[in-house]
Amino acid sequence: MNKKELEECEKKKQEFFAGWQREKADFINYKKKEGERLTEITEAMRENLLLRILPVLDSFSLAEKTIPEKEKEGKNVKGLLLIKKQLKEFLKSEGIEEIPCGKEFNPCLHEAVGEVVGGGEEGTIAEEVEKGYQFKETVIRPAKVKINKSKS
Amino acid sequence: MTKVLGIDLGTAITKYASIVNGEPKALENREGSILTPSIVALTKGGERVVGVLAQRQAVTNPKNTVSSIKRFIGRRFSDPEVQKELKLLSYETKERQDGGVEIKMGDKWYTAIEISSMILQKIKADAEEKLGEKIASVVITCPANFDDSQRKATKAAGEIAGLNVLRVINEPTAAALAYGFGKKEAKKVLVYDFGGGTFDVTVLDVSPDTVEVLATGGEAHLGGNDFDQRIIDWILSEFKKDQGIDLSKDPLALQRLKEAAEKAKTELSSALETNINLPFITSDTDGPKHLDYKLTRAQFESMNKDLVEKSIERVDKSLKEIKMTKDGVDEVILVGGTTLIPLVRNKVKEFFNKEPNKSINPEEVVAVGAAIEAEILTAKEEGRTPEGDIKSVLLLDVLPLSLGIETYGGVSTVMIAKNTTVPTSQSQVFSTAADNQTSVEINVLQGERPMAHDNRSLGKFILDGIPPAARGIPQVEVKFDIDANGILTVVALDKATNKSQSIKVEGSIGLSKEEIEKMKKEAEAHATEDEKKKQLIETKNLAENLVYNSEKTLKDMGDKISPELKKEVEEKILDLKKAGESDNMEEIKSKTEALSQTLQKIGSQMYSQPKEEEKKNDTPEAETEESKE
Repeated sequence: MNKKELEECEKKKQEFFAGWQREKADFINYKKKEGERLTEITEAMRENLLLRILPVLDSFSLAEKTIPEKEKEGKNVKGLLLIKKQLKEFLKSEGIEEIPCGKEFNPCLHEAVGEVVGGGEEGTIAEEVEKGYQFKETVIRPAKVKINKSKS
Repeated sequence: MTKVLGIDLGTAITKYASIVNGEPKALENREGSILTPSIVALTKGGERVVGVLAQRQAVTNPKNTVSSIKRFIGRRFSDPEVQKELKLLSYETKERQDGGVEIKMGDKWYTAIEISSMILQKIKADAEEKLGEKIASVVITCPANFDDSQRKATKAAGEIAGLNVLRVINEPTAAALAYGFGKKEAKKVLVYDFGGGTFDVTVLDVSPDTVEVLATGGEAHLGGNDFDQRIIDWILSEFKKDQGIDLSKDPLALQRLKEAAEKAKTELSSALETNINLPFITSDTDGPKHLDYKLTRAQFESMNKDLVEKSIERVDKSLKEIKMTKDGVDEVILVGGTTLIPLVRNKVKEFFNKEPNKSINPEEVVAVGAAIEAEILTAKEEGRTPEGDIKSVLLLDVLPLSLGIETYGGVSTVMIAKNTTVPTSQSQVFSTAADNQTSVEINVLQGERPMAHDNRSLGKFILDGIPPAARGIPQVEVKFDIDANGILTVVALDKATNKSQSIKVEGSIGLSKEEIEKMKKEAEAHATEDEKKKQLIETKNLAENLVYNSEKTLKDMGDKISPELKKEVEEKILDLKKAGESDNMEEIKSKTEALSQTLQKIGSQMYSQPKEEEKKNDTPEAETEESKE
């Protein structure tokens, strides 16, 4: 083998070695990325599951609204309402928080689903129809609200 | 570094994609969704909002909330179609001096281009936040029937948003690009785009250099929303029948119904039935009313069959317009969320008598294709290879068919599964099938069939010199190694003696495409009978094993069990042996079961004997002594 061939060979070796190192590094990086992605996916799945539990809580709230005040002290009803509390506590422990609903309408937190005429200052929230929720500071479901509208 | 984007700027929804780690990928917006509503609004507080935030305040601010702007971009106010659409709007519009459409938001008038640019601005900002890099260039898509003026306007909207618009391409073309059609040979591609509100069909002639639109057509008002409405109507009528209450008059109940209908539709894409359960949906003088219905996929399909048929008729019409038969279509691509419905997929498949392309999410495929085009164009400009196309430099093959060895009973045991990227290696430890077996034959197989003789044998060799031992004791490690050139080396090593034998097979990758397809097709065609055959062999193997173990037990423990039981076991063994000669699986199974139950009797008889003996000695003293130890 002459010098030129040796140089050529050396060059090729370098090229392959670098390529191999790069590939190895790529794989390690890929594994790391994949790990991150897995965390993201589990988080997203959890969020999705929690999101699907929320309608159950909504139904409980609707049920609670229709029960006359005096019946709420009855043992059976009280027990049922405690189940609602239990569910709420569970969601809270999982990181789900209720979105506070004041007077001011903010599309980042609220979704307007209707209007009420003559209830108050135009553009402010008249009534909360369905609770909104946050999960780790992101809104996973905005609160559904009705907005005040002046008569004109 | 800068990034490129592909943007699917839709009438109702906008999506975008980029190249991440060499792979095109649809990305989420700031609100965490891949779908951004194409809505712009000026809130009562004077703030401009775009996307889902604009959507959330639309009810209370309809005059300043602009949607469906795509219907007006680059079009003349006087156009009769535009006039028809204008009647449906909640916001104010007027004719511009140049004949275009102007929209009022707040106190100001905006062109359709400006409104579209606001949507694109949000996409740009969200993408930069998400990717952590500046967005340099983009490709935006538009419908195939957009004229020159509409395309120019779309491009202008991008430029106003601060984007370098490399090109405006057709939505169906982007979908074909996402699948990589036409790279090697020209193909006729039909794009079936069933979205939320519209249906479009486009026939393309895709070749390596050009993409030609052969036909395009559609239904302006046919989409997934119609499917939802059918479910809503069904629930409304059922509820009226049951409770005598018309829920359509109650806006809040209707809102809940709408959400439930959409959810039911989505669930029925994977489940065969779903529950629509809405407690406390309304109330009357009798108290609260609840809604609880079951909807099966069959019901759902029968209520929506005509909608799908209408789309298929439109496809047929488009083909007839260009005098093309459905056999002339090489590839069918599914685009749009509605194509996730099994009924839609089945009808398309039935019509074309071929499997449509659906591996890329139909809601993202257009944006993905646009991102690929953006990357290709940018790479060309910069004189580099496109990201994600590195594979063309370092080509790694995949195994087209599984490789394995023949194991006991003529079963094919897979060592390296098909579609594994090579080079790779895999090893597994096997043992002998008979007592005092001193050699094993390694039959190297290729193919997907479960039985060895149905697969192709690549070569055989024998490893001998295994020290005599009971079956299952020797350990023979078999290692498959396949290098980048497709050369397969199989080594069998006896772990006790370190003696080994090997074989080298070339061309295990390099089968012709026809051969591979033929073998795959055969595997598919015989899947059920093969599975049965394999089960039979496995059952037989199990039976044989049991016979072997039973005989061994009798030999070892024969003197400890009663002669009656011994006789019973011997009879059952004979029964099973006889059954094992036939191919009657049920028979073999029942005889195996019978023998194994009889065997249990041996166990209990043996345990009960020493126990009785123990009991005799089982005095309290002995116990205390034991516990002292």
